[in-house]
Amino acid sequence: MFGSKQFVRFFGSTISVWNSSKNHLAQLRKKTGYTFANCKKALDMHNNDIEKAEKWLHEQAQALGWSKATNVGGRKASEGVVAVVINKNHGALVEINCETDFVARNNTFQTLANMIAKSCISVVPQAPTSSSSIKKEILDGKSLAGLAAPDGKTLADHVALHIGLLGENMILKRGVLVSANENVILSGNSHPAPQDPNNPLIGKYGAILAFQSKASQSSSGEIQKIGKQLCQHVIGMNPKAVGDPEQDKPQENADDESNMIYQEYILDPEIKVQEVLNENNITVVDFVRFEVGESNTSNEEASTVRAQA
Amino acid sequence: MALPVRRSAGWKMATFIKKSCVFTKTLVIRKFVTVTSESTSHILNLRLSSSRPSLGNRVRAVRYVRVSNSNLCHSTKADVSDNEIKKEHVNIGTIGHVDHGKTTLTAAITKYLSRNGSAVFRSYDDIDKAEEERARGITINASHVEYATENRHYAHTDCPGHRDFLKNMICGASQMDGAILVVDCNDGPMPQTTEHLLLAKQIGVKNIVVFVNKVDLASEELRELVELEVRDMLTHFGWDGDAVPFIHGSALYALEGKESELGEPAIKKLLDALDKHVPAPKRDYTSPFIMPIDSVVGVPRGTVVIGTVKQGTFKKDDKAEVLGFGATFPTSISTIEVFRSPVLSARAGDHVGVLLRQMKTSYIQRGMLLAAKGALKMSNQYKGTVYFLDKSEGGRVKPVTRGYIQVLFSETWQVTARFDFEEDMIMPGESCAVTVTLLKEMVILPGQAFSVREGMKTVASGIIHESCAAVFIPDRKLFKYEWKPKIKS
Repeated sequence: MFGSKQFVRFFGSTISVWNSSKNHLAQLRKKTGYTFANCKKALDMHNNDIEKAEKWLHEQAQALGWSKATNVGGRKASEGVVAVVINKNHGALVEINCETDFVARNNTFQTLANMIAKSCISVVPQAPTSSSSIKKEILDGKSLAGLAAPDGKTLADHVALHIGLLGENMILKRGVLVSANENVILSGNSHPAPQDPNNPLIGKYGAILAFQSKASQSSSGEIQKIGKQLCQHVIGMNPKAVGDPEQDKPQENADDESNMIYQEYILDPEIKVQEVLNENNITVVDFVRFEVGESNTSNEEASTVRAQA
Repeated sequence: MALPVRRSAGWKMATFIKKSCVFTKTLVIRKFVTVTSESTSHILNLRLSSSRPSLGNRVRAVRYVRVSNSNLCHSTKADVSDNEIKKEHVNIGTIGHVDHGKTTLTAAITKYLSRNGSAVFRSYDDIDKAEEERARGITINASHVEYATENRHYAHTDCPGHRDFLKNMICGASQMDGAILVVDCNDGPMPQTTEHLLLAKQIGVKNIVVFVNKVDLASEELRELVELEVRDMLTHFGWDGDAVPFIHGSALYALEGKESELGEPAIKKLLDALDKHVPAPKRDYTSPFIMPIDSVVGVPRGTVVIGTVKQGTFKKDDKAEVLGFGATFPTSISTIEVFRSPVLSARAGDHVGVLLRQMKTSYIQRGMLLAAKGALKMSNQYKGTVYFLDKSEGGRVKPVTRGYIQVLFSETWQVTARFDFEEDMIMPGESCAVTVTLLKEMVILPGQAFSVREGMKTVASGIIHESCAAVFIPDRKLFKYEWKPKIKS
């Protein structure tokens, strides 16, 4: 449930001595996490029947969410998170905005972001054509909003629901879907990176890297680790392109270098990325990097942009 | 109206209250609310520029004053009597969801107190603007409001985001002593109230007062339930939930002047709760004395060190030592002077010159400290919080990783230092916990601010929270020192 998990712990043991209606109100709030006022309304409408009230609340939450969305729709939402999800050969990077960085750090909001990224993958499992090794599809807010979540509702509905729960304006900003061939490996990372590697990748920055590994039997753990570190490099050093050793030359001033292979490796500034790639027998095919709020400053591209690698 | 602005005094003040001042090329006139509080209420937040057009280009007037913690600033001999009648000064802030009425409450407080002249009324729109200010090059969005009750003067800060509160802590003159948590009774705590409380913990707020708002729309039952839930939440996060004062009211009623127990009487109750439950930082007169040394002068009789006593009391013949830059020199107090007149003793807050026995002038440098014998230990490793300025603030473009070595500037000294973090990488615009390892042992007191510069530009600002045991630096080279993170990457 959206908010209830957080509130389960927060109720003391004095509830049992109250009269029935207060008891029910407390229970309903504890279970659902909806506002007290709404819980009370629900109970009043359904003669104190908790189950009926709960059902009504869930139905109402969506409608309430939409009405709140219209209320707060004009507010500036420049904080938010980027969520990265990789599932074998498919990866998705999404950016969702909210008003304050308090909400951006909130578990409920981050769970939403993760769910949206997962929805993107499950909905568009297009395999790339044989001519290109990976395919990137950029989605703008509108297209994202129309996608369906695992439970069948649209993503727009889910966002509206959360606007109701958290009380802030939220915008589905943009997304990118990456699909790769069998011989290309996808790796993703976020910044801040999660403490527990099993936790979802959600942060202010996110990146997906597609690479090919020549080493045949290297442990996948090693390969994954290098992939994640290279993603970290992409996040930190913000290269504009991978770079082609035959065509591109390194810049004189290392600080201005925008080709990834010639940049100083973030985890060891003494060496260039090309050396890391050579050491591990890897070639980078492509990458994508998102930073919360960056698309506000750059030109907004036309809403139906599709790019193929 | 003649404004009691002390221009030259402000500049002198600047050298002693470093945390609250920015060294700029233009003279910055800052209104210090350190004289008797009643008169200053008239100058609170008035537009200086409009009343003093003759200031010229080199003088910039500052509208919002970061009020320094007057309890800790220096007092001259003449001000000693002022000390006694000066009100206690407390820094507080409001936390809570933006729609729950934080700004309305702040406006209502100023309105209520403007009646008796102890505040200037600030309207909702005025406060809501949350001006962007620059302190030490860092941009902070915050609203500052001041008001006073009978016993105290309050500096009230509200920030729109977590990041702004943190930046305020790092660059602000002083810590937030207390916070008002505003909760709408009809909504109850929101999911992000968790994050609000986590922030309060992070910036070291020890005392919270809760204002339950919009109670006019809520039933008795609701009020009870909300109060219970918030108390539980507070306990969960480490406060004593049962002891926290709860005030029920309606900020809107108070702002609109509606006759109701939920209006102005609730504001009064809130202010009383603040007066009672948020302790003001007190000057410490009893701990072993500490005095940071601002300057050193050689006189025929010996060496005189000048500074402002940070804590404690000392008198002639007290055993002392001078510490810093890896060295400790024992000494004892010979004579103490305030403005060239000898006094018997000095205590926290006094600005004094101290003649030391058996001390060569060349041994002492600005940046060292004079302290009671055995009171302080130097160390070369400290823990703190640091904020790396982002590109728009003139900071770095690229992130930093563990083992970042640069010059650390604090108070009046600078020493090369190495910065290590739990995280692999810190992007500009982020703040995090940091372990600082200095090339030379120094004394850094908890709460002391520092900045990091690359060449001429400031790239980071931070505060030290605690000292750690000194560590061995192989070959006196910081890059050879091995720092192990607690979390395996």
